[in-house]
Amino acid sequence: MDIVSQIALNAVIAGAIYSLVTLGFNLIYGTARFFDLGYGALAATGGYAAFYFYTQLGLPLLLALALAILVASALGLLIEKTIYRPLRARKASGTILLVASLGVLTVIQAVIAIIFSSQFQTLSRDVAAEKVYTILGGAITQTQVLILVTALVIMLALALLLKYTLFGKAVRAVSDDDEVASIVGINTEKVMGAVFAIGSAIAGVAGVAAAFDTGIQPTMGLSLLLKGVIAAIIGGIGNVYGGIIGAFFLAIVENLGAWQFSGEWKDAVAFAVLILFLLFRPQGVWPK
Amino acid sequence: MEYLIHIAILVSIYSILGLSLNLVVGEAGLLSVTHAAFYGIGAYATALLLTESGMNFFLAMLIGMVITGAIALLIGAVLSRFDGDFYALGSLGFNVIVFSILLNWQSLTNGPLGIPGIARPSLFGFSFESNTSFLTLSLVLLALVWGICTLITRSSFGRVLHAIREDEQAIQVFGYTTTYYKLVIFVLSAMLAAVAGALFASYITFIDPSSFTVNESIFMLSIIILGGLASHRGAVLGAAFLIILPEALRFAGFPTDVAAQMRQVTYGAILILLMLYRPQGLLGEYRL
Repeated sequence: MDIVSQIALNAVIAGAIYSLVTLGFNLIYGTARFFDLGYGALAATGGYAAFYFYTQLGLPLLLALALAILVASALGLLIEKTIYRPLRARKASGTILLVASLGVLTVIQAVIAIIFSSQFQTLSRDVAAEKVYTILGGAITQTQVLILVTALVIMLALALLLKYTLFGKAVRAVSDDDEVASIVGINTEKVMGAVFAIGSAIAGVAGVAAAFDTGIQPTMGLSLLLKGVIAAIIGGIGNVYGGIIGAFFLAIVENLGAWQFSGEWKDAVAFAVLILFLLFRPQGVWPK
Repeated sequence: MEYLIHIAILVSIYSILGLSLNLVVGEAGLLSVTHAAFYGIGAYATALLLTESGMNFFLAMLIGMVITGAIALLIGAVLSRFDGDFYALGSLGFNVIVFSILLNWQSLTNGPLGIPGIARPSLFGFSFESNTSFLTLSLVLLALVWGICTLITRSSFGRVLHAIREDEQAIQVFGYTTTYYKLVIFVLSAMLAAVAGALFASYITFIDPSSFTVNESIFMLSIIILGGLASHRGAVLGAAFLIILPEALRFAGFPTDVAAQMRQVTYGAILILLMLYRPQGLLGEYRL
């Protein structure tokens, strides 16, 4: 019983973090329609910014988190304006954008490694002081509870934003057809910029969450991104809500796999799931 | 001098990787991010045959090529059913899986500790022990691979590949089973990557999984995108440029670990700039 509830709890935490990643990824993919690999680097940026402000500068937690998310969001917007937007203006293919975003990922990852070293590091100032709760024999830390709550709040906030605001309508219009959207007077470039800013902020939150949960490493961005992409494909790519189902599904399979085989096979299991889905159900469980 | 020979050997090994990857990416237009996996399988197969049975290097290399080809056949059978972004993502997934296996199948691969003491090649009593003779061997193999690639691209088979790259549906209408062509070129490309793997293993005389990560695949992709897709000269030029660059950075006074990261920064930036200003690369004929 203990082991079952522990696996369930681990899956829920991992699912919450993957949900965040996939949420922002789907938002950007749905609007800009390309595989933005640089998105992963923004998650890493968030994690490292939190490390810098919180652990190294010793700022208060909430201020540090806000600054970290702001940094990720601003960087995302900057990349969109200086790289992706000129490429879109030139009608570049999705592959060109993908390769460019690969460049973005490589550069940011290496810059982080130069500044902060490529070693694995942890964020918490005081591990012993952390409260641990027990649910049905499984342990969950206070940080993990906070991650869970944050993920739920962001999911809800994004859903409300997309559904009920004028901005949300504009985003949906641009993702349906950006040419028609601009004909009816929507400033598509502005919407695109906002989507990148919001999406990158969510990436930043995911990076911060992963950083507090496990720790930071310059390559964390790529692995987070890949989990997010796999979740997005399982759920039906571009569908913001399907991605959340995919994220929890992936987290459950991964944790069951880790229990059955051992933790080192986690990534391999995740990609095996991806390849099975690409083969047998490429449109995902909840197609857009 | 010894140092220059070392660089030249690395350039020839990466030229072989670039030439072989170009068959899939440049000629057939499939964005494969799994080349390092075949490079690794070739290296491990050769290294294990050499250390365990002590057979001749050239025989071990040939068997390594066959093993790599067989695995590529399985992976390619899945991949050739995808296209576009999904091809890139699926192939990346296989790289992660192969890397996990190299890392975690301890009883076969010795895990993260790697395989030490791999012998240098010898033929008819002549040993390629010195770096000068090893460079000669590398150049001969590079010339052979170049010849094979030229044969493939000039044949009618190569013309079908070009047609798949330009318009897959159109060539299907003429009755060509494109999945078959995609599969064959994928297997051939993987077998040539195994040649590079065998050379690398016996040159360094030690291998571990860290040389065969997804980042390494991205590096190979950068080589051919920089040099120019579907161009043999481009692949060699790209390899020379990206290998010599970090060495030049070291001479410029950067410490070794920073120089390694600077290499990442530079080739990431090169990818971005190329996509923005010259998507066909320096010598390429095909634009992504």
